[in-house]
Amino acid sequence: MKIQTSIKNLDNYKIYLQVEKAVSEFMESNNYLKVNLPVLSPTLIPESYLEVFETEFKYFDNKQKLYLTPSPELFLKRLLVAGIGNCYYLDRSFRNSEPNSDWHNPEFTMLEFYKLGINYLQMANEILKLLKHIGNKVKNPFFAKASKGKQKLKFDKWEKFSVAQAFDKFAGVKEKELFDEKLFIKKAKEKGYKINNASYEDLFSQILASEIESKLGRNGYPTLLYNYPRQLASLAKLSKDKKTAERCEFYINGLEVGGFCTELNNYKEQIRRFSQESGKREKNKFINHTIDKGLIKALKYGLPFCTGAGIGFERLVMIFTNTTSIDQLKLINIS
Amino acid sequence: MRINAGNLKKGEFVFFQGEICQVQKADFYSPGKGSALMKARLKNLISAKNVEYAYKSNEQIEVLDVTSVDMQYIYKDKENLYFMDERTFNQSALPISIVGGISRFLKEGEKMFVYMYNDKPLTIRPPMSVKLKIVEADDAAKGDTVSGAKKPVKVETGATVMVPIFVKIGEIISINPETGEYTGRV
Repeated sequence: MKIQTSIKNLDNYKIYLQVEKAVSEFMESNNYLKVNLPVLSPTLIPESYLEVFETEFKYFDNKQKLYLTPSPELFLKRLLVAGIGNCYYLDRSFRNSEPNSDWHNPEFTMLEFYKLGINYLQMANEILKLLKHIGNKVKNPFFAKASKGKQKLKFDKWEKFSVAQAFDKFAGVKEKELFDEKLFIKKAKEKGYKINNASYEDLFSQILASEIESKLGRNGYPTLLYNYPRQLASLAKLSKDKKTAERCEFYINGLEVGGFCTELNNYKEQIRRFSQESGKREKNKFINHTIDKGLIKALKYGLPFCTGAGIGFERLVMIFTNTTSIDQLKLINIS
Repeated sequence: MRINAGNLKKGEFVFFQGEICQVQKADFYSPGKGSALMKARLKNLISAKNVEYAYKSNEQIEVLDVTSVDMQYIYKDKENLYFMDERTFNQSALPISIVGGISRFLKEGEKMFVYMYNDKPLTIRPPMSVKLKIVEADDAAKGDTVSGAKKPVKVETGATVMVPIFVKIGEIISINPETGEYTGRV
């Protein structure tokens, strides 16, 4: 890797600052508190598919393993339990083993925010308001052109698909097949995907990325994908039918920009998911960090009913600068 | 050569669903749930259609060992570009749909590399830059000389290129044939 100075990106960088300012204004006027947080932590939430950066604090013979946080969730949830109320974080996060691409860098900026008393669908309205606010504030004549240059992007409404509708419409996978692991794997095989050593989650992601994602957010409006199969629940609350989780992702110009979910607040279920994820990490030979027991303790005390959202900030800025790669937003690139 | 799909690069050739494809774009992508993916755009070298496919990044795939042969671009008709191997005088045809937008910047008589697999031509290796003469251009409009202003000009192959307004008819310019962008005067 090397350091590259890219002063040619100055105009885009200035728009980056405008978007940052617009987000701060929106958050402040909607009563979210900005929270500054550490990026080095002695413990983390186990996530089976995210590798972390490990480092060490040294003082004479004392050594302490520390990890760069892949998301601010472990800190923000503690604060929510402690009673901070609506809050947001707009700063760095780190993910190892994820090389630079047009859409992602190992070091990136995360906008994560939580609102109390609302579910995932109400959060969808909140995010639309945020996008609209940014759109009104950013001064760039080329902003948010739709990818084919024909329609200008508007944030008046969502184009909405449930995950089941999207799989049916774009990939020809019927609802019955999507919610039955055996039928789903059979369908994936018929479609030509390699099913050896592939989990339901793997094949789900492969079909979504190959056949569906590039068609989302292309009609002049952002697309909302909602109700993920329970296997993809992460830390989302399950729906009443137990088949799906109250989780959404949204897409603009074929690119996933962010996601949000009604937060799981059943601590027993959380502990179960933590140990499941931790087991998978071990199997994948990922760095064996300690599990955040303090977070479990906090969740046991009680996380208020809330919805949390995470947005890849650079991806968000890409929309308003009409750029195709994160590199085009930065004055200094490491690649 | 077998590689992890996570190391797949633009320009490489793979078999996809039984047909030879060239990688147009390959980006690592981690959906957060399920294994990491390598999201590739593959151009089928028979139908010229692009297909998106997400490999698992740790999946083993076969990258084809292709050779590149130095050939002369001799002419084109409505459908094909024709190349000649100057040592053997063998001629090869490549459909314009396969070579893509680069063909607008190729000048007859120029030498370039053609990728071959099992003695069959696949596509050309795009030159880093091409040098072409401007055959049609308006004079710079007076007063419109702010830095960065551009105008369209026609080059000898018939393609239109955006250039800074101070560039004149008759000048030879260099162009990146993959993007169609002006890169400088020669």
